[in-house]
Amino acid sequence: MSAPLPDLLPAPDAAIAAPVRKKAPGRASSLRIWLPLGFLVLLAAACFIWPQIYPVPKPVGGSILEAGLPPLSPGHILGTDPNGNDVLSRILYGGQVSLEVGFSVTVIGLVIGGSLGMAAGYWRGITDTSIMRVLDVLIAFPALVLALAIAEGLGPSELHVIWALAIFSIPAFGRIARSNTLAIREQDFMLAARLSGSRGRHIILRHVIPNIMPQLMTFALLGFGIVIILEGALSFLGLGIPLPEPSWGSMIAQGQQVLSATPEQALIPSAFLFATVVSLNVLGDALRERWGVR
Amino acid sequence: MAVASETSAGMTLAHKVLGSPTLRLAGRRLLAAIPVLWGVTLLTFLVMNLLPGDTAQVLLGANATPAQVHQLEIRLHLNEPFWVRYGGWLAATLHGDLGTSLASGENVTTILGQRLPVTAELLIYALVGSVVLAVLLAVLAARRPNGIADRFSVVISMTGLSVAPYVLAVVLVYVFAVRLQWFPAIGYTSLTASPLENIRSLTLPAIAIGFPLFAVYTRLLRADIVEQMQREDYIVTARAKGVPQWHILIRHALPNSMFGLITLVALNLGVLIGAVAIIEPIFSLPGVGAILISSINNHDVPIVEGVVLVFAVVVVVAALAADLLYAVLDPRIRYERSAS
Repeated sequence: MSAPLPDLLPAPDAAIAAPVRKKAPGRASSLRIWLPLGFLVLLAAACFIWPQIYPVPKPVGGSILEAGLPPLSPGHILGTDPNGNDVLSRILYGGQVSLEVGFSVTVIGLVIGGSLGMAAGYWRGITDTSIMRVLDVLIAFPALVLALAIAEGLGPSELHVIWALAIFSIPAFGRIARSNTLAIREQDFMLAARLSGSRGRHIILRHVIPNIMPQLMTFALLGFGIVIILEGALSFLGLGIPLPEPSWGSMIAQGQQVLSATPEQALIPSAFLFATVVSLNVLGDALRERWGVR
Repeated sequence: MAVASETSAGMTLAHKVLGSPTLRLAGRRLLAAIPVLWGVTLLTFLVMNLLPGDTAQVLLGANATPAQVHQLEIRLHLNEPFWVRYGGWLAATLHGDLGTSLASGENVTTILGQRLPVTAELLIYALVGSVVLAVLLAVLAARRPNGIADRFSVVISMTGLSVAPYVLAVVLVYVFAVRLQWFPAIGYTSLTASPLENIRSLTLPAIAIGFPLFAVYTRLLRADIVEQMQREDYIVTARAKGVPQWHILIRHALPNSMFGLITLVALNLGVLIGAVAIIEPIFSLPGVGAILISSINNHDVPIVEGVVLVFAVVVVVAALAADLLYAVLDPRIRYERSAS
C-alpha cells in the first residue's frame, strides 16, 4: 500500500466539480466562457503584439530621473517603478514571461505526462508499475523545495523555471491521464477496437486520446493558472526570472518594499496576476460543466 | 505485514492488543512510510548536492582564499564522497541527531525546536480557521443550491482558488496593516509573552495561507453535500420521516461528506511547506519556512534535510490519522484482516 502523497495541484477529484446542471447552457453559462476567454485573448495580444506595433518604453534601463512617477503621468500611464522603468511596459513584458512559462509547462506536462499516463493505464502491468513509481516519488517530494533547489542550482532564467515547474506538471497530468484511461479501458468500443485487430498505438491515438481529452484540457486550464502562480512565487523569491528583466512576481516583491508609500507598485502586478489566474479558472470550470466532465 | 501472527497459546492479552485491526493498520502504514521517508531524504540530499557552486565558497563569501575554503571543506566533511556523507547523515539521524547547521554551527534539532512551534501555531491557526469556516459556508450553500449563499460560496471559492498566497499577503498587509493598522505588518510575539499580541501577529499570515485552503475545502465539501442530498436513500428516508432540513444537513449529510475533506486536509499538509516558506519571510516570522529559504540559498544541507524530514513525517502521520478518523465517522469501516 503506498502512503497517500502530497500533491502540487488540488486533487482533480470528481467531487470538486460542481454537480452537472441539467438545463441547457444558457446565457450565464456562455458568459462564463466568453468573458474569461476574451480577457485572456486581449491580455495575450497586449503582451505579445502591442509592444511590436505600438512603441512602449523599454521595461529595463529606465532613467533614475523618472523614478517613482505616479500612475497617469504623461508618457507613463501606469507610472514608473523606483528604478524609473515604465510600469505598463514591465507589466506587458512580465506578462509575456508568465504566459510563456505557463503555456510551456502545461504543454510539456500534457504531452509527456499525458503519454506516460495513457501508456500506464492502457498497458497496465509492469509498464504501469514502473511509470507510476517514478511519478509517485516526484509527487512525494515537497514541490516548492524541489523547484527552489532546481531554480537555485541552475541559476535564474526563464528556461530553468520552465524545467523546474515541468517536473511537477508531468506527474499531475500523468495521474489524470492514467485514471481516465483506466476508466474507459474496459468499455465496449475499446473492446471492439481490440477485437477488430487494431494495434495498441492506433487505439491510443484514435480512441483513448479523443476520449480523455476533455478531462485533460480542463485540468490543463487549472494547471496553467497554478503554474503562473508558481512562476510568480519563484520570481517573488528572486529565483525565477533574473532582475532587472520584468516578471509579475518580482514586481510584486519589489513593490512590497515600498508598500506604504506607493502601494500601486505591488497592487498593479497583483491585480494582473489575479485577473489572469481567475480567468483561467473560470474558463476551466465553465468548460468542465459544458463538456460534462465529472 | 506489521505484526506476524503469534502461534503460541497463553498470550491472550498481548495477542489481542497486537491483533487490534486499528493498530495493525497503523503499523502497516508506518512501515510503508519508511521507504517514502527514506526516498525523500535521499532525493533532498541529491538535489542539494547537485547544486553547482561550492558550499564552502558560498559560506565564506567571494573573498575567501582557496586555503580557507579547503580548510572549511575538511572541517564540514564536504570533501568526502556523496555516499559517505549521506550514510553518515542517515546513521546520525536514525540515532536522533540531525547534525549541525553548516552556516551557523548550531544544532539542527535546537533550531527546529525553536522554530517549529511558530510554524505549527501558524498552520494550526490557518487550518482550523479554514476548516471551520469551510464547513459553515458549505452547509449554508448546500442548503439551497443556486441560492444566495451558494452563489456567494462559488464566487468566494473561485477567488480563493485563484489568488496566490503572496498576492493575498501583500493586499492584506496593505489594507489591514498599512491602512487600517489593525494588525502588525511584520514580527512575531510569542504566546507566552502576550496571547493577544500573539494572535494579532499571526492573523494576517494565517489568512494568507488559510484563505486559499478555505476556498478548496468549501468547494469540495459543498459539492459533496449537494450530491449526498440529491442521491442518497438515507436522505430520502429522513425526509419521509419528517426530519427537519437542518437536521438532515448537519446530522446526516455533513458527516457522510467529511471523508473527502479529511483526505484533502491530510494530503494538503505537505504542500503547505511551500506556502509557509513564502509567507513566513513576508511577515518576518521566525518559523521553519523562513529558514528553509535561506538554507537553500546557503546550501545548508542539514537544515534543509531537517525541515523536509519533519514535513514528510507530518504528512505520513496526517494520512494515517485521516484513515483512523474515517472509522470514527463511519462505523461500517473497520480495519479488518480482510482489508490487508
